[in-house]
Amino acid sequence: MKILFALIKKEFFQIVRDPSSIIIAFVMPLMLLLLYMYAINLDTVKVTLGIKNDDPALEVQTLIKSFSQSNYVNAVIYSDKELMYEDIVRSKLRGAVIIPNDFSRKLSQGKPGDMLVITDGSETNTASLALGYPLEIANIWLSTSKYSGSIRRAPVNAELRYWYNQEINSHYFILPGSIAVTMTLIGILLTALVVAREWERGTMEALLGTGVKKIHIVLGKYIPYFVLGMMSMFFSVFMCIVVFGIPFHGSLTVLFSVSALFLFACMGVGLFISTNLKDQFLASQTALSIGYLPALMLSGLTFPINSMPEIFQWCTYIIPTRYFVTFILSEFLAGTIWYIVLINSIYLIALGVILYVAVYNKTMMRLE
Amino acid sequence: MQTYAVKLKNLTKTFAGAAAVDGLSLDIEKGTITGIIGADGAGKTTLLRLITGLLLPDSGQIDIAAKKFGYMPQKFGLYEDLTVIQNLELYAELKDVPHDFEKLLEFTNLAEFKGRLAGDLSGGMKQKLGLACALMGSPELLVLDEPSVGVDPVSRRELMKLVRDFSAQDTTVIWSTAYLDEAHSFDTAVVMNEGKIIFNGKPQQLGVSSQEFEQHVVDFMGGYKKEDSPIAKAYKKQSSGVEFPVEACDLVKKYGDFYAVKKNSFCIKEGEIFGLLGPNGAGKSTSFKMMCGLSTPTEGTAEIMGVDIRENPSKARSHLGYMAQKFSLYGNLTLRQNLEFFAGVYGLNKEEQKNRIDEIIRVFEFEKYIDRNSGELPLGYKQRLSMACALIHNPPVLFLDEPTSGVDVITRKGFWNHIRALAKKGVTILVTTHFMDEAEYCDRISLFFNGETIAVGTPQELKENARAVTMEEAFINLIEAAK
Repeated sequence: MKILFALIKKEFFQIVRDPSSIIIAFVMPLMLLLLYMYAINLDTVKVTLGIKNDDPALEVQTLIKSFSQSNYVNAVIYSDKELMYEDIVRSKLRGAVIIPNDFSRKLSQGKPGDMLVITDGSETNTASLALGYPLEIANIWLSTSKYSGSIRRAPVNAELRYWYNQEINSHYFILPGSIAVTMTLIGILLTALVVAREWERGTMEALLGTGVKKIHIVLGKYIPYFVLGMMSMFFSVFMCIVVFGIPFHGSLTVLFSVSALFLFACMGVGLFISTNLKDQFLASQTALSIGYLPALMLSGLTFPINSMPEIFQWCTYIIPTRYFVTFILSEFLAGTIWYIVLINSIYLIALGVILYVAVYNKTMMRLE
Repeated sequence: MQTYAVKLKNLTKTFAGAAAVDGLSLDIEKGTITGIIGADGAGKTTLLRLITGLLLPDSGQIDIAAKKFGYMPQKFGLYEDLTVIQNLELYAELKDVPHDFEKLLEFTNLAEFKGRLAGDLSGGMKQKLGLACALMGSPELLVLDEPSVGVDPVSRRELMKLVRDFSAQDTTVIWSTAYLDEAHSFDTAVVMNEGKIIFNGKPQQLGVSSQEFEQHVVDFMGGYKKEDSPIAKAYKKQSSGVEFPVEACDLVKKYGDFYAVKKNSFCIKEGEIFGLLGPNGAGKSTSFKMMCGLSTPTEGTAEIMGVDIRENPSKARSHLGYMAQKFSLYGNLTLRQNLEFFAGVYGLNKEEQKNRIDEIIRVFEFEKYIDRNSGELPLGYKQRLSMACALIHNPPVLFLDEPTSGVDVITRKGFWNHIRALAKKGVTILVTTHFMDEAEYCDRISLFFNGETIAVGTPQELKENARAVTMEEAFINLIEAAK
């Protein structure tokens, strides 16, 4: 016990002395949160569309007006089609709408009116918006125009309500999600260096020359970085809720308890890398590529898991961040849902214990 | 009562098919100091690691009577980002011994540096601290892996005193070393060669004086035959017409209020070997760095082949071959790639490069290792490669910063054979070393202490000056007098 305490104390001295661990634990989460808060916005933005109207009917002019007044569309009126196409090529426009000259005639005959919508398929997200907006605007216009009587009304009228995120503010889920990513980075990167450092500097040889036991070495690494990681977690959550005002519907006790399990699993990944590689540079590169990138790509935060190819969906099961992202989003946006809390906790505990055993078994008490 | 502290029987340990320790048997008597000596790669470190249990033998028996032991690995095992006192406290707690460091601190002269980071200590002080950590808790068996490598004679004497003062009557000490005079003063000397013990007995059996002892040990290790140096033979002298190829004029280096070098002036004649000696932290390395333009002097300047190092550093440096303290080649490039790189850096054109590299491979006998990564070379060859890279552009001046630190006696002799032959061909050489036998090879020596030159002269003059018989005695006397 005394030995373990001495090792932990030593590790804390090293943390305090080494600015890089403080930067990883506090400055980096702050930077990421600021970046996600102010630089990244997944909310809808105005799409610039070119409009070319070939129908001289007066009624169609009101449709053009609807485009111009829309909150979602930046309408640019063209009289020359070729010019409009050129602007699409130059990326000045995200898409274009062409209203043919028989548009109003077909509508007055009670037939559906045709409208050509061109979008830039190289940016699929914007393309789907550029496709959806003209359709919506045209439909609203139709229901208020004089042709409204001549077409059949839709039998079902959808009234939209967004649960858990009434305002569809993307920050509400991106920021909690970014905590998950940051915690992955902290858990894996901080610990990936620490065992390798002892081997590289030759202090491991001296440690083994004293009476330390395996459990001391393993826990002597787990405990201090766990404490540092949890401090960083408190800091991130504080920034999110108090400073950025992200609504929190869950329970802080549950949040930090599951975070602790998550950190335990992540540290397992980092320590496993470090214990095996014994080289700081190699360990940090490995931590970034096998720890951080999959967490960003495959955790379901950036890309929804159920839209991935099946094989990748299977891969996500071994990534601790996946469970934590699911949990932290529901905890923030929907409140404590015990089913989600328990199922994810079980996965995290299992992963953490497996990794702990692997680290313990890989920790060497001799030089080879 | 047990008379033996360590009993080894038929011990074998192989790495990748090569035996590092080969059927070795050894009994070490309790309460003695045993010196382990041998060429690089003879298996000294492996043997010590087997004794401490850090490695398991492939076969054979190890019986160790001691329960408490202290171990100091080659890299000392200090936490460089912890302070002196934090290191001591850590090891005290790991060994479960009381925290009374007063005596240790006093004996190591580290009391005033308690709060300093271990990484900021000078080489000699680091070694003392490492030793203090190993000595803690009065171990019955003390295993020290080359504790005195790269340490000046004064500090070495202090390390030895520290071990003798702190080890009890019945403490057994196993101490591996490259300094044969050190081994000569121990109770028992064990000479290793290729994983086997070729001598085990009292050092006095091999020689009453330390010179005689050294001669015998060298014979045991396969002997050293002095040969003509093909390296020097291949050296092409350029006519210089400069009287003093190396001149230092009032060099001063100040860090804040601290003078690392106070005032250093010397002139080196063509073909002279000039030795810069002094304790660790005296300012030798700082002077060296200023001389080759790696560090700008606060005041004064240096001239290489009459070219001012401050005004025209790259031209001055082109006359210079530099061999650094640590092996500073690219470990993951092959031997040939290292040569090609340095040839390119020194501005040799394609045609010259090819001819020069072919020549170097021939005279340095590199054929066998030409495509081996230089990090994997035997130490002796690493050192040859460093020297080859320093000589690749036929420089008229050669700077050697502790070129033989941690190198065994035979490799050192071979190295100095080349250096002396090069000097005879007119190469001007500036060298630092902690080996006093090497100091004897110098034409003139400048003894450096606390940033100042305290004595200059031939080795003979210095010895007469200090009324000493050996160079080591002269060194210690002169330093003590200057304190």
